[in-house]
Order: sequence, then structure tokens, then C-alpha cells
Amino acid sequence: MRRRARILIAALGVLLALAGPAGARNQLVIGVSQFPPSLNPLIDSTLAKSYVLGMARRPITAYDADWHLVCMLCVTLPSFENGLAERVQLGDGREGVRVTYTLQPGATWGDGVPVSTDDVLFTYEVGKNPSTGVSSAEGFRRILGIEAKDSKTFVVTQDRIDYQYQALADFELLPAHLERAAFADPRTYRFRTRYDTDPTNPGLYFGPYRITELVPGSRVVLERNPTWWGKKPAFERVVVSTVENTAALEANLLAGSIDMIAGEIGMISVDQALAFQRRHGDRFEVLTRPGLFYEHLAVNLDNPILTDLRVRQALLLGLDREAINKQMFGGKQPVADTIVHPLDWVHTDDVRHYPYEPEEARKLLSAAGWNPGSDGIRRNAKGERLSLDLATTSGNRTRELLEQIMQSQWRALGVEVHLRNQPARVLFGETVRKRAYDLALFGWVSAPENVPRSTLYSKEIPTAENGYTGQNSDGYRNPEMDHLIDTIEITLDRSKRADLWHRLQQVYAETLPDLPLFFRADSYVLPKWLKGVRPTGNLYTSTLWIEDWHDAGDQPR
Amino acid sequence: MSSHILRRLAESLVVVAAMSFVIYALIGLMPGDPIDLMLSADPHLTSADVARLKALMGIDQPLLKRYGAWAAAALSGDFGYSRLYVEPAVAALLDPLGRSALLMGVSFVTTLALALPLGILAARQPRSLADHAINLASFASISLPSFWIGLMLILVFAAGLGWLPAGGIADVGGGGFIDRLRHLILPVTTLTIVSFGAFARYMRSGLLEVMGQDFIRTARAKGASERRILLGHALRNAMGTVVTIVALSFGGLFSGALVTETLFAYPGMGKLIYDAILGNDFNLALAALLIATVMTLVSNLAADIAYAAIDPRIVYR
Amino acid sequence: MMPRQSRAALYTRRFAQNRPAVLSALLLLALAYASLASPLIAALMAQDPSVVDLYHRIAGPSLAHPLGTDELGRDLLLRLLAGGRISLAVGIMGALAAAVVGTAIGLIAGYRGGLVDAVLMRATDAVISLPLLPLLIVLAAVDLRKLGLPPELARSEMASLYRIVVLVALVGWTTVARIVRGATLSLETRDFVRAAVGLGATPVRVMLVHILPNLAAPIIVATALSVGNVILLESVLSFLGLGIAPPLASWGAMLSGAQETITIAPALAIYPGALIFLVVVACNLLGDGLQDALDPRTLTARKRA
Repeated sequence: MRRRARILIAALGVLLALAGPAGARNQLVIGVSQFPPSLNPLIDSTLAKSYVLGMARRPITAYDADWHLVCMLCVTLPSFENGLAERVQLGDGREGVRVTYTLQPGATWGDGVPVSTDDVLFTYEVGKNPSTGVSSAEGFRRILGIEAKDSKTFVVTQDRIDYQYQALADFELLPAHLERAAFADPRTYRFRTRYDTDPTNPGLYFGPYRITELVPGSRVVLERNPTWWGKKPAFERVVVSTVENTAALEANLLAGSIDMIAGEIGMISVDQALAFQRRHGDRFEVLTRPGLFYEHLAVNLDNPILTDLRVRQALLLGLDREAINKQMFGGKQPVADTIVHPLDWVHTDDVRHYPYEPEEARKLLSAAGWNPGSDGIRRNAKGERLSLDLATTSGNRTRELLEQIMQSQWRALGVEVHLRNQPARVLFGETVRKRAYDLALFGWVSAPENVPRSTLYSKEIPTAENGYTGQNSDGYRNPEMDHLIDTIEITLDRSKRADLWHRLQQVYAETLPDLPLFFRADSYVLPKWLKGVRPTGNLYTSTLWIEDWHDAGDQPR
Repeated sequence: MSSHILRRLAESLVVVAAMSFVIYALIGLMPGDPIDLMLSADPHLTSADVARLKALMGIDQPLLKRYGAWAAAALSGDFGYSRLYVEPAVAALLDPLGRSALLMGVSFVTTLALALPLGILAARQPRSLADHAINLASFASISLPSFWIGLMLILVFAAGLGWLPAGGIADVGGGGFIDRLRHLILPVTTLTIVSFGAFARYMRSGLLEVMGQDFIRTARAKGASERRILLGHALRNAMGTVVTIVALSFGGLFSGALVTETLFAYPGMGKLIYDAILGNDFNLALAALLIATVMTLVSNLAADIAYAAIDPRIVYR
Repeated sequence: MMPRQSRAALYTRRFAQNRPAVLSALLLLALAYASLASPLIAALMAQDPSVVDLYHRIAGPSLAHPLGTDELGRDLLLRLLAGGRISLAVGIMGALAAAVVGTAIGLIAGYRGGLVDAVLMRATDAVISLPLLPLLIVLAAVDLRKLGLPPELARSEMASLYRIVVLVALVGWTTVARIVRGATLSLETRDFVRAAVGLGATPVRVMLVHILPNLAAPIIVATALSVGNVILLESVLSFLGLGIAPPLASWGAMLSGAQETITIAPALAIYPGALIFLVVVACNLLGDGLQDALDPRTLTARKRA
């Protein structure tokens, strides 16, 4: 019986393998390793959600693949030069700005209702209400008021002028005609939003696709949206399929169950992607692009060993980051010098570099008072060992390998490192938040030109008194850095701003609040027939340009 | 006997209540909250936002108070909202529960269908070649890491040969019987491979134990054939062991298999419980785990009753 | 009842007749010995197993590295031996810890009976249905110093090993407890126990001196069998990211880590996987052999062949 069943299955398998689609494909299956949680764009923002929603909606402004700010849902980017932005005096002597946006005339929700300023005003109501559970409320807090000039044009008054005045960040439009009922009691809005109770309702989406099927934990199916105003997307249907185990994800790709792996949330490490390319380069193309994920070693500057700049410099000089990049990452994750990404227009190379110079590192450690002991580990005058804890997230293969490399290379300098791996929730929820570490290996996501206020400003140090708010867990106090952060935010002139950013990077590299490692690269595994996918490297996902993706048609299956 | 059953039921209720508190406390003791993870993932989020969101979720309340609120609601049948799935916890459970029941149920049947005959075959001729071979296979079965064998099956049959899907419940636009069956084949095979060994050995040892007893020797002396002895007398008496084992494993039907579900992208109860716990989704985790607890207790009780019914020598005080 | 010495001789003889069990015992001893001797082997090979060599990652077998290197350029043979030390240690320590706890609970439940028995057995049911995951994460997060461990131990890298042992001790005792309780229930009706009670022995004395030695057989068998299970548990925990942490190596962690590079370097997965498999099979064969040797009931069935 079992043998017969197996023969039957084999026969079925052969039949199904032969009967494949001929000609241009009308379906694209994307493999991801996280399932998007609730679909409401304002609540619980995660990358998986942005990725899926990027196919079905558009933000008002976004950073494209070249990291320029562009208009997506708006028509023209407002500026002082074109008159769409003007200064305004606020009551208490401060200066604000009034910015005018016009929505795309063709923008229409999937049920035929036009996207209008009604939606803008409604979204503002939802966003500024503290009990609705909107995650990124900073953007809403800056808005003093919104006026609708007509059904497509509106003016936003912001409470300050800073370099980001043109972008309307995190202002994701909600369909007023559908969501107003759910908002009747703001405190229960997040339970009654149609994005979760009725996610396949076409009226929730206005992009090239709309969501037509949702199997929680498994997949999301999207189909072409007839009301989309832009270029018609090539694929009739897109399926986002979740496979959490990365080895199984690759197997799915090879088996044909999925067509591509999304770099933003595929979680494929560069190592794995390069290995895949070596084996299957005939069928697949692997794109890697360094993203805005800054992998670094956070340093607790209040640890007496690490307070000494020479020790921090020695640690960096004694780590062969270039070899790690070449040997571990195939050169795809170049060494970072500061928090600023090389593709960011404010980046400068004119900062102090730390190449691999272990002899220099040893000299620095000796100069700092740490002399080699009998067992190879250095000791200071008091006889204390040069011993540090290194914490990182457990279960992350790349980080586990990295920390062992560091332990090994630093032992050669006479530094003893104890590895303490913890689940991510423990690391971020307890260890980093409460500054209970010596060195911590992790990354944080940034945005183009993102001013590092919460991480480097001296007033943002989490303490028991302030309930551990603030992300400057290193405890970095540098008056020049504070001043630079304050000034950059309000400088609008691009060349002046660039100068300030250059100085900020120099201060960072000189004073080393953290030990920079690299910018993590996202790996996209694409079939050879798929063209038009442009990884952006920033938080605005590649799916925001999904209408450019197409089947080149000239490749065999 | 029925007073014993009633007593066990009462004790089980106490256990369920105690377990609900222990589980709630354990999840609450896990440091941090997924909201903290959002900080490193969203550059526009500030610590003030995190604090605000936590207050909104009621996370900053003391644990006992939150447990009390949950227990009061649960007693009146309201198991609350799932934070992860943003729908009522019980509703969020239903589909994964059905899928797990299907996967585990089918695996259970195939495991028994494979294990029981093997066990009987082995017991027929102890120390024979067949017995040794089956023993070795059984040991191999219980010694294999399930994620290892699952990954091997995927690599060979899905990625390599392309005969079967590498995971998922059904194809897009599919969902028919054949389609779902195809998707079940590899996960069921994985589960069967790692489970049949234990059952085969129980069957074998149960049979051997019976075969060594006096009444078998008597039957043999009376001239009954080996086949009749094995299938007629011994099997019937060994069923007690088997029924007990089967009843005990029944509870596992509803808690799913985390590793297999993760590997085969099959969203069942195992994965749900894992995500709920890691996501601090108290309501969902408790609803799911209490179901699993209740099923385990029920199956334990059923096993004891079945064993007592089959073996009259057992007396419950 | 036969005198103790000839009983021991009988057990040994019966065990020796079981070839697979003897082979398993020899294999386990050999592996244990090799793992313990790994620093010596490292010295002989003039290799330091913990030094990272980025320029020779995932290399094939060579004179310097008989089995090749792993993803950080470390000698694979030495890593496997080091991993064996940890995996075997986890298995044995975990099984022993669970056995101790289980014996205590089963003994008390079986001997006392009544309310104590009911409470302990319901507790057993509860522990069986307890979810391992939050327990593990809590253990991973708890500052071991707060639990009274000396700072050196708490900070040490062996912490992840101790955590697994503690976890197994907390949840793995149920099987042993059930077996011990059953055996105790049948033993306490025997004459020599009744005689001891009649002579005025305290309950503790009866349990420890009279009953416990006769439980040795089932306890040993259950412990041997559970070593394999603990090793398998450790590999699943590593798959979930909650197992043995670097820089400690364990076969389970090596196996999980090799998933990513499975298509280009299958050896990194095959060796630890095969070793886990061999050791667990050996433990099970050994346990089975011990059961046959020590358990009088299966004697008659054996004679038939």
C-alpha cells in the first residue's frame, strides 16, 4: 500500500512538473522570513509590513534608491524656492513652516472613492490622539495644524524648521470613509480597524496592487488594483510567502515554490547568499546592497577600562575588519568608519581610519597602563585583568561568528573577552536599556541623513531616575557633538549642513563612542528572468517601485 | 471507579488553574517586551513612544493585577484579544488548531500503521535477523534530530528532485484535496520517521512480556499454532500497553510540532505557541497552552482508565 | 534471593551476551575518552582549536587538518572533540540531575501514598504540560548571581551548559518519577520491607536503605536512555537559538549552524549529525542492554530463541 502510494505520488509529481506555465508569467511569488503583523500602516510598524504595504499603497514622500527625497503620493516636493513652503512666526518667538502638498489627481482607493484631503485630516486626527496606539508619533507631534484648500491640496503647519521640512514622514493615509466608524472610540481603534477585521477590502488600498487573501502566519496574496493611477504592473498576482527557516527558504527557491527572496526581510546572510550564488548562479542572480543597518559595538563608556580612549582605539586597531569583510562577506559589507553610510550624500572619507595594526594596538594598551601578564592577559598596576564582557543576540549566526573572531583576535593583544549571548528581547529590553554591558554587538536602523540625537546626545542617557528613556546607552558626553547635533537640525543650507556633518563624522571617529564595524547588506536572490528590482538600501522598500518589475521573457524557465 | 474518575477530574481542574498562573507568571517574567525591539528597528521611534505604547497595552501594570483581570475574564469565557493576530484569541486559534490536528492526526495514524506491525514482526522471532533489523531501525528513529531529517527530506525531494512542495499548506489558488495532500507528505513523513521507533519498541516489549507468561505456555502445550497464539492471545493482552501509549500521546495532537512546522512553513499550534510566547501575547499563549494542558490531562486520565479497564489486576485506591 | 556477588556476576554475564549493547558501551567510552583527551590531541597536532583563521575557512581535508576546517578556519576534528565533551557532559549531567529529582519524588509518592501521592502525581502531570520555551527564556535572562551562584561561575561561558542542565532537572524528572513510584508501590508489599517496618525502622531509613537499592535497576536503565534524549533536546534548543552558546562548541550547535552552508559544505553538518546519531543510538542500545541484563522478566522470552 505504501509502495503504491509512493508510485502514485511520483507520477503526480512528474505530471505537475511538466505542466508548468508557458510564456510570460502572470504571478510572482516572493519569499520572506517574517510574516507582517496587523496591516494598519500606522500601528506597530515593522519592515515586513512596510514591504507588503509598499505594493498596495504609497507614502506621501519617500527616499528612492539614490537616496533622494521624491514625491510619491504628492505631485511636487514643496520647498522655499518654489514657494510651496513659507516661514511662519509662531506665538512664542519660534519659527515654524507652512508646507503645501497636492495629492496625485488620479489617486483613488480601490473601491472607487478618490484619495482626498478628507483622508489627510482624518489621518491627522488618528495620529495625534495618544490613545490610538500609533507607533511613530514624532511626525504627528510636530504638526500644529492642517488646512484643506480643496479636495486634493492641503497645508501643513509644523512647529519647527529643520532640514527635514519637505518630508512628511510616517504620515500614512487612512481611508476616512472606511475607518471613521472604527475610530468612534479611539481607545479601541486598533482592535476595530478594518485593516485587521476586513483586510481584503479593496477600499483600504490605492496602490498598484490590493490585498485579496491573507492566511495569518503563512502568506499574503495581492492582485492588480484597477484604480491605480500609475504604470500598470507586469504581474497579475503577487504572493508573499513566509518561510522562517532560511535553509528551508533556499530549498523553496530551488524547488520553485517561490521565485525570489526579498532582501529587506529575507534574512539571508551575505555568507549564505554568496554560497548560493556560487552553486546556482546559472538560474539566479544575487544582488547585495549595503543597507542602513549600522552594525557596531556599543561601548559602555562608564566602564573604567573603556573610558580610556586609547583602549578603544587599540581594540579597533587590533580587529582585522578588512579581512572579515573580504573573507566572511565576500567584500559586500565594507568597513564603516562612522555612523554615516557611504551612499549618504553627507558622507566624507576625511576622518580618522583604523586599519589593522596589532602592533600599534599593543603599544597603545601598554601606554594605557595595561601590561602583559604571565598567562598572556594584560593587567594594570593594581593587578586587575583586562577582561571585558561582550553581549550580543543569540541565534544570530553571523553575530556568533563575529564575536568569536573578536575574542580570538583580541586575545592576541592580551585582552580577555567573555561572550554573553542573550535573546534579542533580553539584550534590548534589559541589558542595553539599563546599560548593563561592557561591549554589546548589535545594529540599529538608520535613515538617510538621520541625525543621531537619541543615540549620541548627552541628555539622552538612560538612567534609573528617568525611567531608562533615551538611547544613548553608551553614556557619551561630548559638548561639541551636542552642539553639532543641535545645529545640523536647523541648518537648511545644504553646503553648510554638509560641512557640519563632516565635522560630526570626524568627532565620531576621533572620540569613538562606539566601535564601528560595517553596514549590513541586504541580499536579494532573484531569478534571471526578473528585471527592474532596485534595492534601495534605506527604509523605503523596493516594493514601492513594483510597477517597474517585469519578466524579461527571454530567459528559459 | 467512578469516584476515582470524579476525584481525578477535580484534581485536574486544580492543576489547570495552577498552570494558568504559572504560565502567566513565566511569560511575565521574561524580561523585555517586543516593543523594546521596535526601538532598534525604527529610527523615528523614541523611548517616550515606547513608554506610551507600553502604558496603552497595560504592560506597565503589576503582574498579579493583570493575571487577576485575565482570570476573571477567562472564567466568564472571555479569553481576550490576541496582540499578534489582532482578533479574539480563541478565533485566532481555530485555524492553526485544525491544521495541527490534521498534521498530527495523519502522522499519528501513519506512525501506528508502521510501528505496530513492525513491533509484532519483531516479537514473533526474538533475536532473529528481522528482530535485529527492526530494533536497529527503531533505535535509529528515536535517535534522529527531527529538524535534521526534515531538512534532508526537503533538500532531496523538493529542492533536488522537485517532486513535492518544500512547504506551506497549499498552493496559491489551490487548496483542493490532492493539493493539500501533497503538501502534507513531507512533514508527515518527517514526523513518522522520528516517532515510529518508540511505538514499535513498546509494541515489541509489551508482546514479549506477555509471551513469557504461563497461559501462553499452556496454549502452546495444548497445540495452538504460533500465529494464533501471537495474534489471538498475546496481542489482545498486550493491547493494554499500546492503548496506554496511544492515549498518552493523544495530548500531543493539539500542541503541534514546533520544529516541523517551522521547517515546513506550516502554521500550526506549535508555531503559534512559540510566536505567542515570544511576542508576549499573553491572551493567545494562555488560551493555546491551556488547551494543550487540558488535552494532556484528559489523555492521561483516559490512559489510566483504559489501562485499568484492560488489566483487571490494577486497582485504584 | 541470590547473594549480591553472584547477582552482579549474573548481570554482567547477561550484559556481555548482548553484542550491540557491549559495542555501544565501548563506543561511548572511546568517544568520552577522546573528548576528554582533546587538549592532548590538540597539542600533538600543534593546533589551537580556538584560534580563528579567516584565510582558511571551510577548507577541505589536509595534512594539517585531517577533517578540514569550519567556517572560522578552526580545525574541524578538534571542534568535534570539544563539542563531544560538551554534548556528552550535558547529556550525562542532565540525565543524572533528572534521575536524582525523579527518584526522590517517585520514592516519596510511592511510599507515602494518599494525599502526598496525589499531589505529586498531579504535579507530574502539570510539569509534563509545562511549556519549555518561556522557562528557557526566563532561565536565559535570570542573572545567575541572584540565584546564589558565585560570580566566576555565573559569568563563565559554561553558563549556557548549566542552564540546560537546570532545565532538564526541572522538567525531565517525570519519567523516572513514574517508574520509581510504580516500582516502590510493588516493593513495599514485599516481606523484607514489611519486616523492616515492623522492626521499627523510620520511613526515611526504609526508603533509603531497603527500597532504594532495589530500584537501582530501573533507575539505571531510565538514566541511560535519557542521556540520548537530553543530547537530542540540546540540538533542538540550538536550532531555536537557545542552546549552547559560543565559544562553547556542541554537536547540536554545530549542526544547527551548518544549515546555512549546507549546499556548499555538507561535511560541516554531516559530522556532528552523524556523531549525535551514533551517540544517541549507542545510549539507547546500552540502556536496552542494561534493561535486558538487569530485568528478570525478559529472561524467559530470550530463552526461546
